[in-house]
Amino acid sequence: MANPNPKKTSVKRKHTEKDDAPAVAPVTLKLSGLEMLTDDEDGDDYNPEDDTDDGEVDEFPEIDAASDSEEDDEDGDDEDEDESLSEDEEDEEEEEEGSTEEDSEVESDYHIFPKAKTVISDITGQPKKVYPEIEPDYDSDSSTEEATNRVGDVPMHWYDDMPHIGYDINGKRVLRPARGDELDKFLATVDDPSAWTSAFDKTSQEEKPLSSEELDIIKRLYAGENPDENYDPYEPMVEWFTGKGKEEIMPLSAAPEPKRRWVRSKWEKQKIMKIVRAIRAGRIVGQKPKTTSKYEVYSIWSSEPSTSAPPALPAPKRALPTNAESYNPPEEYLMTEGERKEWESKDAEDRERDFMPQKFTSLRLVPAYDQFIKERFNRQLDLYLAPRIQRTKLNIDPTSLIPKLPSPSSLRPFPNYKSLNIRHPKGRARCVSISPDGNWAASGDEDGVVSLWEVNVGCEVKRWKFEGKIGSIEWAPRQDVSYFAVGVEEAIHFLIPPNVDSTTLAQTHALLAPSALPSAGPTPSPVKWTSTSVSSWSNDKPILSLTLPPSSGVPTQLQWHKKGDYFASVSTGGATQNAVWIHQLSKRHSQAPFRKIKGAVQLVLFHPTMPHFFVATQQYVRLYNLAEQKLIKTLMPGIRWISCMDVHPSGDHLIVGGYDRKLCWFDLELSEKPYKVLKYHSRAIRSLHFHPKYPLFASASDDGSIQIFHSRVYNDLMTDPLIVPLKILRGHQITDGLGVLQVKWNPKQPWLASAGADGTVAVWCS
Amino acid sequence: MGRLKVKGKAGAAKNFTTRSQAVKKLQCSLADFRRLCILKGIFPREPRSRKKANKGSSAPTSFYYTKDIAYLAHEPVLKKLREHKAFAKKLSRALGRGEWSAAKSLEDNKPVYRLDHIIKERYPTFIDALRDIDDALCMIFLFATLPSTTRLPREIVENCARLAAEWQLYIMHTHSLRKVFLSIKGVYYQAEVMDQTITWLIPYSFTQNVPPDVDLRVMLTFLELYQTLLGFVNFKLYTDATLVYPPPLDAKKDDTAAGVGAFSLQTAEVQVKKAAEKIKSVAVDGRTVTGKDVRQTIKSITAASGEQESGDSEMAELEENVEEEEAFVLQTSHTQVASDLPTLQTLSSLPTSSTSNLFAPYTFWISREVPRSVFEFLIRSFGGRVGWPASSGSGSPFDESDENITHVIIDRPSVQKEETPAQRDLRLRRKFVQPQWVVDSINASKILLEDTYAQGKSLPPHLSPFGEYNGAYDPTAEAEAGDDVDMSDVEEEEAEEAASDDEETEPSKDNVEAALASVTEDPATLRAAELAAEAAGMDYGTFEAKVKKASKKSSAKSSKTVEDAEKDMNKMLMSNKQRKLYEKMKYSQQKQAAENDKLESRRRKLQKDKATQ
Repeated sequence: MANPNPKKTSVKRKHTEKDDAPAVAPVTLKLSGLEMLTDDEDGDDYNPEDDTDDGEVDEFPEIDAASDSEEDDEDGDDEDEDESLSEDEEDEEEEEEGSTEEDSEVESDYHIFPKAKTVISDITGQPKKVYPEIEPDYDSDSSTEEATNRVGDVPMHWYDDMPHIGYDINGKRVLRPARGDELDKFLATVDDPSAWTSAFDKTSQEEKPLSSEELDIIKRLYAGENPDENYDPYEPMVEWFTGKGKEEIMPLSAAPEPKRRWVRSKWEKQKIMKIVRAIRAGRIVGQKPKTTSKYEVYSIWSSEPSTSAPPALPAPKRALPTNAESYNPPEEYLMTEGERKEWESKDAEDRERDFMPQKFTSLRLVPAYDQFIKERFNRQLDLYLAPRIQRTKLNIDPTSLIPKLPSPSSLRPFPNYKSLNIRHPKGRARCVSISPDGNWAASGDEDGVVSLWEVNVGCEVKRWKFEGKIGSIEWAPRQDVSYFAVGVEEAIHFLIPPNVDSTTLAQTHALLAPSALPSAGPTPSPVKWTSTSVSSWSNDKPILSLTLPPSSGVPTQLQWHKKGDYFASVSTGGATQNAVWIHQLSKRHSQAPFRKIKGAVQLVLFHPTMPHFFVATQQYVRLYNLAEQKLIKTLMPGIRWISCMDVHPSGDHLIVGGYDRKLCWFDLELSEKPYKVLKYHSRAIRSLHFHPKYPLFASASDDGSIQIFHSRVYNDLMTDPLIVPLKILRGHQITDGLGVLQVKWNPKQPWLASAGADGTVAVWCS
Repeated sequence: MGRLKVKGKAGAAKNFTTRSQAVKKLQCSLADFRRLCILKGIFPREPRSRKKANKGSSAPTSFYYTKDIAYLAHEPVLKKLREHKAFAKKLSRALGRGEWSAAKSLEDNKPVYRLDHIIKERYPTFIDALRDIDDALCMIFLFATLPSTTRLPREIVENCARLAAEWQLYIMHTHSLRKVFLSIKGVYYQAEVMDQTITWLIPYSFTQNVPPDVDLRVMLTFLELYQTLLGFVNFKLYTDATLVYPPPLDAKKDDTAAGVGAFSLQTAEVQVKKAAEKIKSVAVDGRTVTGKDVRQTIKSITAASGEQESGDSEMAELEENVEEEEAFVLQTSHTQVASDLPTLQTLSSLPTSSTSNLFAPYTFWISREVPRSVFEFLIRSFGGRVGWPASSGSGSPFDESDENITHVIIDRPSVQKEETPAQRDLRLRRKFVQPQWVVDSINASKILLEDTYAQGKSLPPHLSPFGEYNGAYDPTAEAEAGDDVDMSDVEEEEAEEAASDDEETEPSKDNVEAALASVTEDPATLRAAELAAEAAGMDYGTFEAKVKKASKKSSAKSSKTVEDAEKDMNKMLMSNKQRKLYEKMKYSQQKQAAENDKLESRRRKLQKDKATQ
């Protein structure tokens, strides 16, 4: 069973690999499988010069092809027999390589093997070769030969669980060779120098050394060559159909030649013509000439600009460097330690300078500026990301912004200095009033004291004491009579100063306490008029008293009409909202002019020439016509809380002051909005007063100062009023956050009387 | 009733476009939009009311003029950018498929945009371009020295270096450099080209590295524009100066670090000759009159006048001159004839002033520790000859042993060493100055004394030639004036101090002084002061003198205060706007004054310290 198998395969290989000697091979092969050992024996005989074989076992690559087979055979007796089939073949091939040897071997083969007898087969009747029986004896190597595995080409894992690995030629079991553990294997590799050229043989289940031919094949495969040594990839071509004498002279087909073989294609022509036309028309451009640079230059500005539009504004240039940026600046430019620390602690954006001034003694010591690229980058960000605004830079002297006004010295007289001081020892001096002849002044304080004093000298003449604080004092404007009204808690008292000449006194008496009281009005008024008769009257008592309705508060303002018959009172701080009363002296009648009014009334004023009436609520000033009983206009000063106002003697201008420090000048002819708003006091404005004769007005404030203005108004409607600040009068102390509470002009002189919260009343003279 | 007005259809809402709207409208990426804005010089605007411009929202956005954006919409560069986007897609596709030849042909036909039309648009005239070239120069000089990296291709750096060298060559050639300033940031140069003052800054020659927080793409976009601009400007300048542009570069010299010396300026003679001839021929009575005719007529006139000899010599000169002019060789004609009408050519070639040839009589040697590129440029711009050792680069016209060297620019501390008589002789013949001398001389437009700048000496401070704002602290001028005031004040004080030291025994001295100080016209106070003086034992004469002095002082003071008070009062009549403006101006003035005072006082202190040492 085993015998024919190797034979077959080897024959096949011979055919493919060795075309040269097809005849010789089968013979040798036939022999090789069977009688190898005898070959060995004979080899010795035949090749006696190969005595060095034993020593040369290790040397694998240099092995002489001729001596190969002998070596292997002699190497190990037992191994020889176990050689795989393929090995055998290889050996034979090797043998055949040496041609001289081959011949001799063939010869020897014929000599060695017993001669076959040719007999006629009984069965087939054909002649057949019959070999004599091989006697297994000591002369024959096959007797000592171990059983070779003859299972054939079956998967070896079938035997995995068996103690044997197959069967030998005689059908006996071939036992599994003992296989050592890993250590043994390793030792084997160490001991056996040929271990690294051996491979595991599956059939015999053990390591077998590779023959030199096998190694040669491996080497070739590894090099990517054909494993066959004799394969020639460059064989000369065999010409079967071409070449001399082999030309085909007859056509293969007898069909007539088609037209397309010799007529040009119409469609191709059309396609080509299309391209040609496109090229001619310039639609297709051939290989574009390559521009060497993107930045090719030419005379770009020789032609006219393409657009007539003006170019965009150029970007602002960077500021030129100053001395501080020098590499060797004057020493004063260098930063001190503190400045340096401050500079370093600041963010880069907040720094005034983007660099730190440094001084180097020599140019070669100057290092690179590390922020250079960053700085350029920031500049570029500015150029393309920052909105640009065109700013007109004012290159003017700031003092030129201050308005040019006439010098105060050219606008004399105006009060300049403090000439007198009257003290109210208890309580703040709330109010002051100067008599129409300009000789007497009356002042009242919060303690309820009203003192009458002489304006020129400041000598106190008389003192009255009332319950509750004095809210207001106002002299009657008439020249022929002499008295003044005092507003205290829920009452208004009329006082006649002492030392009045007899005619005036008589007239005053007649006015204030007439013998025959006028008949009561048709509508009874809540205001009670009580007068003391002249006979029982003394200087200490008020000659006439008005009792305002209960809980109406202190009358903070008394305002006489120019003629002296009417006067208005405004009470604040009371419970009733309707706190405005107009009192008529001749009829002893009081009436509330407004049935209902929006907002809390702060102040009222009689128009100096017309029957008009100003009413100031917290934020607005309304002008009423009393005769027609209707609203004329509403002025909007834009003040949060109006504190004081006064009307110019001409009646066309009004000034309004507020607790929010603003002073508004209204031109009544012009607008309902202020002509001018001034804000110069540092605290609330408390009082304003126009001088009845001189072009002056004064404002008093809680900052303790009095500001005197020159205010000229022109009859000409086109000319704006002239307002010139003249003088700041200081001298009042601020107590409890209150400064000057009221200012009043002397009607005859450019003198000013002021009542301060520090309890003094001062007269300011020019 | 009029038509109803629809909100957001007119006014600011229509005139302004936010950035995102603009990007949407242009259908490009934000990066492309930025690039376009940089190239076209479009920048955001600040609307009067942000709310009105942005549909009532006051969110922080940047606004552009709608017209600007509409104008961008048909910009050729935008088209190219779109093409480039398509190209990039095609290329990546081809590469992904491994179609190498397709990729190659795509790459060959890559869309490239040019910026010529943008330059023309942004700078309709050459002067406009020159006016805006400061930033371009700074950037190009910076990039000429940067190391090339993957982000910064070598070609860009080389192109920048070439443009920078060309600019420097032109400045040197026309002697148009005016001022130089060595600052800690770099060297500032100021030149006057076509009556435009151009300032640029070059960093010291150290390797700069691009910091990570700098967006190099933005810088490169700017650089693209600036390269184009400077290329055109250089071309115009060179051709106007009848020079060949680009100047031929000697590659061998360039490789051996010859710097600007690697370029050679050549006059474009041939073309100009033709053009000049064309201009020269003037038609008189229908017959063209050439230069030759003119010469002949002149000759005949001079012959007639009889002054043969002088005329001849003059003639020869004239002839020479005319020929010279015809040739239009760019040389500063030394024989300038008054009758010559000044052409643009002659005007530009005229030596503008003696300062532009400040260093003409001198020959300089730059020693190796001095930055050669800077000082070669400076000295050659002012007409000097300059040489340098081989270690600073090749191309030096002479070597160190040259006899003509007058100045050696040296920046080393002086070292005492033995020298041979020959060396000593050489040393004495030459002047050794520190580099600052060159710059200070240029800024002073005269040759300064070399002794102050001699080798190893501590240098005088280097001041900015550009000046500061009006009324700023001036370290030079104020030194003298301030000194005078100072000295008198100090003397007085010292005298007084001495006097007070003498009179320290009298404790009532202070009282007298105080009384005197309060002396005014008021007779009562005067009387009181007199009494105090008497008590202190002061004689009447001195007392009177003192009173006079005090009254003078007080009167001056009071008049001042009165005026101030009046001014202060007048301020209350200013409108709010005016007042705010006034306050602002005053504030800035005070700030400046404080700064000046600080510097002044510091200087005094330093001087005092120096004097005491």
